[in-house]
Amino acid sequence: MSARKLTSIAFIAAVYAVLTYVFAPLSYHYIQFRISEMLTVLPFLTPTAIPGLFLGAVIANLGSPLGIYDVMFGGLATLIAAWLTSKMPNRWLAPLPPVIINAVIIGIELGTIAGIPGLTIPLAMLWVGLGELAVCYLLGIPFLLLLERYRGRIPGFNAKK
Amino acid sequence: MIGQYIPGHSPLHQMDPRAKLLFVFAYMFAVFLANNPATYGLLVLFTGIGIYFSRISLSVFYRSMKPVFILILLTSLLHLWMTRGGEALFSFSFLTIYEEGVRQAIYISIRFFLLMAAASLLTFTTSPIDLTDGMESLLKPFERLGVPAHELALMMSIALRFIPTLWEETEKIKKAQMARGADFESGHVFKRVKSYIPVLIPLFISAFRRAEDLALAMESRCYRGGKGRTKWRELHYSHLDVVLLLLFVILLTALWLLRK
Repeated sequence: MSARKLTSIAFIAAVYAVLTYVFAPLSYHYIQFRISEMLTVLPFLTPTAIPGLFLGAVIANLGSPLGIYDVMFGGLATLIAAWLTSKMPNRWLAPLPPVIINAVIIGIELGTIAGIPGLTIPLAMLWVGLGELAVCYLLGIPFLLLLERYRGRIPGFNAKK
Repeated sequence: MIGQYIPGHSPLHQMDPRAKLLFVFAYMFAVFLANNPATYGLLVLFTGIGIYFSRISLSVFYRSMKPVFILILLTSLLHLWMTRGGEALFSFSFLTIYEEGVRQAIYISIRFFLLMAAASLLTFTTSPIDLTDGMESLLKPFERLGVPAHELALMMSIALRFIPTLWEETEKIKKAQMARGADFESGHVFKRVKSYIPVLIPLFISAFRRAEDLALAMESRCYRGGKGRTKWRELHYSHLDVVLLLLFVILLTALWLLRK
């Protein structure tokens, strides 16, 4: 792996983690608007973002109330979603995988382990899914459009889709 | 903040990073074993001793945990309001607080602090270089399965190293945009969140610029991956790590015996 690719991955991870921490109270609950999830559109532009987002989610979830469980499930969900996003045919479908994958995996996780009263698995899936839907589409799409405009200034983003 | 390193010479600073990583990983599972006052008390005591021996002031821990206080409060309130069971302690029209609700609220808050304290202790007492070496060495056995141990550890530590830097940068960009008339504080939640886009794009571009600089610095020092690389400082387990292992075994046994 080249040094350039390595540092790009590391910085995508760092940005994801910082955004999660900056908006911490919004980031971890079952009604969550994890602003950093808007970065999940990145794999659509560059495959470098797949390991980047995975590492970012792992680091960000170290600060989660569910500790190691969130690190494992969150990391896994992000990895699968990022890989699927990189395979999406157009930009309108790019934010869809994180919505679905997170709703299912994090929904099951929160519904079983979190121990929040009254929170069943389908309910947790619904809330997580809605939060992701809002962030990934309302923020992810504008972010994607802006990035496409600045594509030339960001290294590794030149491959046109 | 997680990711920050505070240099020192405490026993915790001197432990092998591999031992600390493994310990924190196992400890985060162990915390979930606690289910009564005795077990939670034991964990609090154990973590307190850890904090004492790290010789890091409590105010540093307080600052690192401050961003998640609201979250703890929210979860606790939810438990007070929703969890039923045991005697009703307080009742006012639609709100009834039960014994079980209070208990769960306290447990959840404690667990939260324990997890945060463990993660903070690890990064406070382990330099990024040690953390990388430790992770790399622990991931080594998985290399045969195709896991890029060296790269993964290096990326992880670069990311951890730059979190505080990028955090500061986020604050700076925010202030710069406010000076240009940006408004982050008014309007409904979506409007507020959307107002952060002018912060995110510069942050993102600046992060990539830093990544470029770092890559250039690495290349000019002839970095070419983990293969055949030797180390100036090699990791060695010491008696302190054996003490940590013994303490963990004692803790685990005690938790197992004390839990209901």
